[in-house]
Amino acid sequence: MRYFISNVIKIIPVLFLISLIVFILVRVTGDPVALMLPETATDQEREELREALGLNDPLYIQYFNYMKDVLRGDFGDSLRYNQPALGIVLERLPASFTLALSSMAVAVLLSVPAGIYSAIKRNTFSDLIITGASVLGKAMPNFWVGIMLILLFSVNLGIFPVSGSGTLAHLVLPSITLGTGIAAEMTRLIRSSMLEVLNSEYIRTARSKGLHEAFVINKHALRNALIPVVTIMALQTSTLIGGTLITETVFSWPGMGQLLVQAVNLRDMAVVQAATFIIAILVILSNLTADLVYRYLDPRIKYED
Amino acid sequence: MKFRWLVFAAIFFFFLTACNPDSSGEVSGNGSESGENELIIAAGSDMVTFDIHDHNNTSTEAIHVNMFNYLVKNDGEGGFVGDLATEWEIIDDQTWRFKLREDVKFHNGDPFTAEDVKFTLERVAKDNTLLEHGNYNQIAEVNVISDYEVEIVTHNPEPALLNRLSRLGSGMLPKNYIEENGWEHFLEQPVGTGPYKFSEWIKDDRVVLVPNENYFGEKPKWDRVVFRAIPEDSTRVSELLAGGVDIATNIPPDDWERIENDENLKLAKSPSQRVMLLVLRTADEYVTSDPRVREAIDLAIDKEAIVESLYNGAATPTRTRVTPGNVGANEKLYGTSLYDPDRARELLAEAGYPDGIEIQFDAPSGRYLKDKETAELIQSMLAEVGIKANLTFHEWSTFSEKYAEKSFGEMFMIAYGNSMFDAALALVRLKQAENVGETDYINDEVEELLQVAESNMNTEERIAQYQRVQEIIAEERPQIYLFQMDSVYGLKANINFEPRLDEMFYVDDITKN
Repeated sequence: MRYFISNVIKIIPVLFLISLIVFILVRVTGDPVALMLPETATDQEREELREALGLNDPLYIQYFNYMKDVLRGDFGDSLRYNQPALGIVLERLPASFTLALSSMAVAVLLSVPAGIYSAIKRNTFSDLIITGASVLGKAMPNFWVGIMLILLFSVNLGIFPVSGSGTLAHLVLPSITLGTGIAAEMTRLIRSSMLEVLNSEYIRTARSKGLHEAFVINKHALRNALIPVVTIMALQTSTLIGGTLITETVFSWPGMGQLLVQAVNLRDMAVVQAATFIIAILVILSNLTADLVYRYLDPRIKYED
Repeated sequence: MKFRWLVFAAIFFFFLTACNPDSSGEVSGNGSESGENELIIAAGSDMVTFDIHDHNNTSTEAIHVNMFNYLVKNDGEGGFVGDLATEWEIIDDQTWRFKLREDVKFHNGDPFTAEDVKFTLERVAKDNTLLEHGNYNQIAEVNVISDYEVEIVTHNPEPALLNRLSRLGSGMLPKNYIEENGWEHFLEQPVGTGPYKFSEWIKDDRVVLVPNENYFGEKPKWDRVVFRAIPEDSTRVSELLAGGVDIATNIPPDDWERIENDENLKLAKSPSQRVMLLVLRTADEYVTSDPRVREAIDLAIDKEAIVESLYNGAATPTRTRVTPGNVGANEKLYGTSLYDPDRARELLAEAGYPDGIEIQFDAPSGRYLKDKETAELIQSMLAEVGIKANLTFHEWSTFSEKYAEKSFGEMFMIAYGNSMFDAALALVRLKQAENVGETDYINDEVEELLQVAESNMNTEERIAQYQRVQEIIAEERPQIYLFQMDSVYGLKANINFEPRLDEMFYVDDITKN
């Protein structure tokens, strides 16, 4: 418990640091006013708007005002939507969550059997195929996979809708797009984790006792090999979130990823800050959860010291 | 055992494909099987807001025109027809009186009156944090004469007032509804006077409108109108090919053939208000200060070739930015361009540069259709006559920042729109107060003509003044106009849609066979 609390406390400086870095990055990379007004706007119009938005204040005053509001849960208003940024980001969470979960499901369904199978059948033809496929899966960029899937399954075969959201069918292609990349990574990690277990002494002991090979694998190897999978899944959270940026844009999926991409393009500072803040919390939480689950799965792991 | 899985898989697939109540997810492409008369339009960006005063986004306005009405409408030929106003007259140089329709109700049932006009226009005229403020701060006040009569008073004579009132930012808002419920509520549940009512908005996904049965004009034709946001070009085209949308905007030239070869689809093109141009610095320290050098640059560029090779003909060469359909257009300079590389070389020699010159050339990349390719082609055409253009590309946010700071060198490329449909907006950047650091252009005749025309209430005289300015600019070239860009739409073959110069979607002008 103490471990858990001290970890939660550690989150605070991390979030603080993230907010500072993002604040500075967003401000030094472009002037939102130049983007908000059309090409034909006059200098005076730009100046008035800059003043109205408080962009003429020195950076440290802007940051001070910003942090004062953030502590009250107010990230400021989105320049694009002219509404509170936090609300806009939170509104998108369910869509991104749905996509992330189903992608993770695709990844687990593909990678766990494939990884275990290729470890058991090490150095055989099937192992070669699976390892090869996972290298290929890792090498193919998300947006390319997405566009290819659209061309095949939507335009040519007409099985799934091209883009958008609303039904389960809309979820299939984006989940596969995002899921396969992660599956590729996970397959390789699971394979090596399984190999390690298979070479361990207790497996040799089990085998030497004359136990049936299927029993050895199911009862002894599998359980132990799956423990690292939990960590791997948690580590993929940030990959998953990074992947939603591209996948959501390709499929017009109305989630946080697409929101963030457009907010960055428009220098919509409040939304970028709120979104990165939420993403940071999500990543930290998923790592914490992984720790807890890990401990539950393997009682030998103790964090008390 | 295997069989059970097969059945399961079959049921699963059936579930995925059949359980599809949502129209935007049409897979089969057979439109409205439910018998519902539905129109789906896909644009490259999401609507930004329902605050009609706080955006300058054409595709947002293209949705709003179906929900809100202006006082007057642009007839597309430089004239105006009444919408919420039935008639109007100029009382004196700074006062306009409008008579309003008396049979108009907002979607919530409130009657539309003069108070709403005052509320709407004074808000944008007075609040300088609103993005449209700069286009309305010419209005000093709006006086309610009676329930259905208003007077608009401007700070100075404002000949382009009707242009201002027939565009983005002029949709009439419900005063009582907003004051009683607050802006937040209005933004969530917007209410206007138009033929269609708000139904839902899922951000970065779709805006759905439904008919307003109490509309004062012709009865709305569609049962449901869906505006989808599909930012990725290839996805938008795929959606059209798969039959998921009726109309898709901004089809890239590379996809035209695919669409034209599909018997279920077709293309529709229209000139747009956007003109691509080069902006040159005329201050002494730049080689482009010599008008002969500027002329040489103009003559070196084969605009027809750019239009043919990069845009498949979907653009019109022009020597003015004020194109037909705008008040003050000089049609003699439209549809024509100059190209004479030999003369360009001579001009450089005459200017004292027989061995050529070197200039800085900045251009945005990814902002406009084929902007990068256009700039590269221009660079190589300039090289042909001995002008070495050091081309630097900028991502749009960097470009627009440099543009606002006015920190470019000899030449940059940009494409200007004109939502005002008036020469004033098109030429205002050439005024000396505006052009320092951009063109640095000084011509007393141009300056005087622009000053006078801006507040000249005599329409004919004003038009002549602007036409004269365009002639001088075409001759002296502080800006070199390249071509007017077309907007290109992909449609289902059974959809009748005439794209508009202003890029609006008045959905009741769109029909389905």
